Amino acid sequence: MEYEFILKYALTNENADASQYLDALFEAGCDDATIGVGKMGAIALDFMREAASADAAVLSAIADVKKAIPDAELIEVSPDLVTPTEIASVIGCSRQNIQKIITNPKKRFPNPIHQSSAGGIWHLEPVLRWFMEDGVSINKNLLEIAEISMTANLIHQSQKVNPKLQSKFLDVI
Amino acid sequence: MTIKHPNKEINTAIEYAISKHWKVTVGGGHCWGKMYCPFNDEECRCGEFCVTSIWSTPRSPENHAKALRRVVDKCVGKLDGDATKTLPKGKKIGER
Repeated sequence: MEYEFILKYALTNENADASQYLDALFEAGCDDATIGVGKMGAIALDFMREAASADAAVLSAIADVKKAIPDAELIEVSPDLVTPTEIASVIGCSRQNIQKIITNPKKRFPNPIHQSSAGGIWHLEPVLRWFMEDGVSINKNLLEIAEISMTANLIHQSQKVNPKLQSKFLDVI
Repeated sequence: MTIKHPNKEINTAIEYAISKHWKVTVGGGHCWGKMYCPFNDEECRCGEFCVTSIWSTPRSPENHAKALRRVVDKCVGKLDGDATKTLPKGKKIGER
């Protein structure tokens, strides 16, 4: 199976030019990624990886990058966090259509992880599952990738949690 | 552009990028060259793909060509009418 996903990293030195890592990334096995180096101190890898599963594809890609740039910090695995515009492009309908579904309480659309006047942000995985239940055909590989991407991002984010606060918080909710 | 990428599909993708006013430079190890977005502003996929590396020998030339085209198509910058109006200050097409 072939899986498509993007890994975004921050380099330890925020002024570093990511171009210096291109050869190392190629040799570490990232020759199936198209790499963006347009931002100082950052690097993004757009993978199309052949693997037995989505998990294997994403995890092996993360391991390959680690070989080439051991101290790079993984910032985001995508597709995971999406705006209504991005949801519309994935589903193949208009943004207005998505907005109608989101704002209709009867639809019981998944809750956003953040809502603002500018729109909102959702995890893609529950959104895809909602559309599947609604009868929309969803690419199985995309669903798998959305799940592992969300998992990777949540685990990564949760490492920033203060353990003391976490146990107090879990007592309350 | 005088130098061609040895892979036909990738070369077609590079020509497509150039037709959308991307600038292409050649050279650098496993990297055949790089392509530069004419806008390179913060809104464009956060800027990482505003400079995208082009491999000499990617695992799948077909996929790499597809990905390069996607980078160009996802670029939020649009050249409408008088192109110079939509370009960042002090920049001309093909210049960085």
